[in-house]
Amino acid sequence: MILVWMIVILLIGGLLCWLTARANEHAAKWVALVTMLIDAALICGVCFTQRVSSINTWIVDIKTQWIPAYGIGFHLAMDGLSMVMLLLTFFLGTLAVLCSWNEIKQRTGFYYFNLLCTLAGIAGVFVAMDLFLFYFFWEVMLVPMYFLIAIWGDTNRRYAAYKFFIFTQAGGLLMLIAILSLYFIHAAQSGVYSYDYFDLLNTTLQPSAARWIMMGFLVAFVIKLPMVPLHNWLPDAHSEAPTAGSLILAGLLLKTGAYGIMRFVLPLFPQAAEAIAWWAMLLAVIGIVYGAMLAFAQTDIKRLIAYTSVSHMGFVLLGIFSFNAVAMQGVVMQMITHGISTGALFVLAGMLKERLHTRDIESMGGLWSSLPAMGAVGMLFTMASLGLPMLGNFIAEFLVLMGAFTANVPLTVIATFGLVFSAIYSLRFVQKVFLGPSTFQKPLPDFSAREFVMMAALSIAIVWLGVYPQPVLDMVQHAVQAVVTK
Amino acid sequence: MPIQYYIALASALFCIGVVGVLTRRNAIIVFMCIELMLNAVNLLLVAFSKMHYAKAAAAGAVTTAGTEGQLFVFFIMVVAAAEVSVGLAIIVMMYRNVHSVDVNFLNRLKN
Amino acid sequence: MDSLQLQALLPFIVLASASVVIILLIAARQSHTVIQITGFLMMCLVVLAMWYVRDVLPRAIMPLLVVDGMAAVFTGLIVFCVLIIGLFSFIYFEEREENPKEYYILIFLGTLGAAVLTISRHFISVFIGLELLSISLYALIAYLRNRNNAVEAGMKYLVLAAMSSAFLLFGMALIYMDTGSMDFDGIAKQLQTQGHSPALFVTGIGLMMVAVCFKLALVPFHLWAADVYQGAPVPVTNFIATVSKIGVFAVLVRFAQAVQLQSYHFAVIIISFVAIVSMVGGNLLAIKQQNIKRLLAYSSIAHLGYLLVAFLPGNAAGIEAGMFYLFAYSITLLAAFGIVTMLSGRQADADQLEAYRGLYWRNPLMGAILTVALLSLAGIPLTAGFIGKFAVLNAGVQQQLWLPVIVLVITSVIGLYYYLRIISTLFAETQVIFPKEKSLHPLFVAGTYGALLVLLILLLGAGIFPSAVIDGIKNFLCQGFRIINF
Repeated sequence: MILVWMIVILLIGGLLCWLTARANEHAAKWVALVTMLIDAALICGVCFTQRVSSINTWIVDIKTQWIPAYGIGFHLAMDGLSMVMLLLTFFLGTLAVLCSWNEIKQRTGFYYFNLLCTLAGIAGVFVAMDLFLFYFFWEVMLVPMYFLIAIWGDTNRRYAAYKFFIFTQAGGLLMLIAILSLYFIHAAQSGVYSYDYFDLLNTTLQPSAARWIMMGFLVAFVIKLPMVPLHNWLPDAHSEAPTAGSLILAGLLLKTGAYGIMRFVLPLFPQAAEAIAWWAMLLAVIGIVYGAMLAFAQTDIKRLIAYTSVSHMGFVLLGIFSFNAVAMQGVVMQMITHGISTGALFVLAGMLKERLHTRDIESMGGLWSSLPAMGAVGMLFTMASLGLPMLGNFIAEFLVLMGAFTANVPLTVIATFGLVFSAIYSLRFVQKVFLGPSTFQKPLPDFSAREFVMMAALSIAIVWLGVYPQPVLDMVQHAVQAVVTK
Repeated sequence: MPIQYYIALASALFCIGVVGVLTRRNAIIVFMCIELMLNAVNLLLVAFSKMHYAKAAAAGAVTTAGTEGQLFVFFIMVVAAAEVSVGLAIIVMMYRNVHSVDVNFLNRLKN
Repeated sequence: MDSLQLQALLPFIVLASASVVIILLIAARQSHTVIQITGFLMMCLVVLAMWYVRDVLPRAIMPLLVVDGMAAVFTGLIVFCVLIIGLFSFIYFEEREENPKEYYILIFLGTLGAAVLTISRHFISVFIGLELLSISLYALIAYLRNRNNAVEAGMKYLVLAAMSSAFLLFGMALIYMDTGSMDFDGIAKQLQTQGHSPALFVTGIGLMMVAVCFKLALVPFHLWAADVYQGAPVPVTNFIATVSKIGVFAVLVRFAQAVQLQSYHFAVIIISFVAIVSMVGGNLLAIKQQNIKRLLAYSSIAHLGYLLVAFLPGNAAGIEAGMFYLFAYSITLLAAFGIVTMLSGRQADADQLEAYRGLYWRNPLMGAILTVALLSLAGIPLTAGFIGKFAVLNAGVQQQLWLPVIVLVITSVIGLYYYLRIISTLFAETQVIFPKEKSLHPLFVAGTYGALLVLLILLLGAGIFPSAVIDGIKNFLCQGFRIINF
């Protein structure tokens, strides 16, 4: 039941925000914050009380009928992987509420309603074990996200919002056809009409059918991920969205793509996935290098961070298609640490924009002297993003590369060069923004208490994951093992 | 007379009607062409009704075969009259608005 | 005719008497309000009568009519639409100078025509129903006769509809010649014997398809749709978009079921072709529209194309899907046109997209309802339109109709673009101050808002818990299928 509650609390909280804002504009953010904290407390409670073991992979499992006429069930379940993703969701969700605190001044009620609905959709995606339900949540997170970008975004927001919505929807509908095909093939074999993940796992597919159906799933997921030829929506959406929107996009929405591949593509179509592994790894490596190069060329701070995401998510794709446990654990680590480090950079970009009213790094410079604390934090997360040891991203990228090395040496070598590029763009970023001659004469305020709390939480998380990642690795170990052995 | 003659005549009338509707500009003539199409169908139905009756009668039975066709003709005539009455009313309104019954004046609805 | 047959016809008799009652009321010089309320009560009476006679169904009234479960579903939907449209009509016509009373006679006659279509099993009753519907529509479209647009639209519809009726009759005559029978079962029986000529049958079906495509506004017979939708008064547009299409689709389904239309290869090819070009054409034509009535006209072309995809399989699943789709589509359009009605002023209809700028911020309830309706048209989850589209895809994938299914998916992504365009207009900033509307009878304003809220609840309810609707349709259809061979 606790999974249902998590989603329901978010939705109720969202509605409450909407209603209270009509009376008082400030009430909405408190309601949103309390909602997020309740959910975060719930998931932490589960995390501390339940232990994942090889016998008990699925900690929580709830299943009822939803639309029996089509064999659609309401099936939510949580294993280690889902739990880690939910922890990340509620952690970043709380921060998203906090970082909108002063940024959103108009229509706060509707804003927090959309924010919480997006998070509800994301939480649903991570725990839905019925494919129809999964698709349902997949789309549910889309609409409020569209509103977040289209209403509270920057100047070019409409274009970015269209692009985001249409790309994702196109992929989603292909996935829906794939789900339906799988459903009917399964029904023809077993006589049972069911969308349940655990039923569909037992379907045996003709190789050609498996290839087509897998492509349907994969397209939807790699658009979200994003993989290189389909990454086009990402820089626009990330740079135009409000800070919390960018945080959720980079920190969570991209992860749903990776999660989908791990949860659905590999277990459902192991042979077909293996057949295209080389191509997927190739595109992943192209993404790593290409994203890094484009990031180097950007002058818009949010676009720069967006392209680093393309590069980092290339590691995720590389790791997934290496098919071994080490790389897979690296992938999960990368999902979390990328969420934290890139999220932090977006929050930082938002803070800079709040103070300087620009996103252009050419017009920044020398900010360290006026904003020392922000400079230090910015340095920390840039270092994390380029993979400095002792910080979470290093563990993740190292594990991915180690795993990928056993699968494909040349591609892994090229991917390693991506790390060099990432050092270049990261240093350029720090150089342009925080070092050099100061261009701003008037004094700028450093962190407020709220901003300090947010940044402290993010910094502690990234350092902790870099120094002692074992709890996370333990948590996902069984889930990862299940994916790899299939 | 073989049934093909009836079909040919009715088809010819029907086609004249279609061409008339598509090419004429005077709303009243357009209307007459529609009537022509309906009457072509009436002719067909009467002919077929006779044909089916003859077929059944040739088989030797006392039969009501073919009555449906003739019945249908009456319905078509009634409905056509109703259609014309509404149609002429609309044409009159059109004449009041644009002082013409030329259908080419109907071109204001655009985006 | 025995008493049970008479009982089965009771709802239709009540429906027919509704127009007579209105005529008498007008003769007694009653006010618009009285007529409106009486009309509303008469429609409620029809619903009650349907409930009352549910046990005598299914029942055939030889040779013209058959009242069965399918007819009950379609008629119920038609009467529901008319109930809502009647409510919207009051506030629409009360604002206009012209005498609105005769409008109700026509609309109930048109409803009777559509209802007769749903129960007809004979060419004569099909023709009578269709003409009853069409002739009422000629007058309804041109009802606001001082507006040149209305007369133009009426004239266009008149010429084209009369021509399409002639095509229908020609086709019927050819099939009559071929089979010697005019009732659907008689035709089906004759078709099983060898003595018929395929050429005549094919030509006949082809000519009838022309008429049906015209009435459903499918490409390539869609040219009237945009002009008529734009020129007609908003409630009439709503009537055309819902009631007339439901009626024609009902008779199409019944005829196809009787003669097994989908087992003929040529018919499947024609229908697939029409479906595909309608989906593509409708969506492409809608993209550039600035006029919301024209836009909805083109989008309804596309939606009827989607509906044909459900019609293609010709099995029970397809018919159920089609019915659900029609249900979802109808309530969606009712809601959308309801908002257009509410916003329309004395001089002109609110059909320019500009009239909707920032609607959400001016009137959140109306904005939210229109947003949900548009999302439902776009087929986004949480709305009835999504389940409808899912049901259609379900039926299509089951029969492996890959080409129509893929086209459906691609074109709905195109469609998404223009729905999003309207939605983003709804949420855009606005400086324009709109004049306060004249205060109407508070009872009817409340009634209209009530109707809109009911539609909203239905839209969301059928999107989240569609089981009730699906099971209802299934139950009714089971009654319907029993009667096919009697």
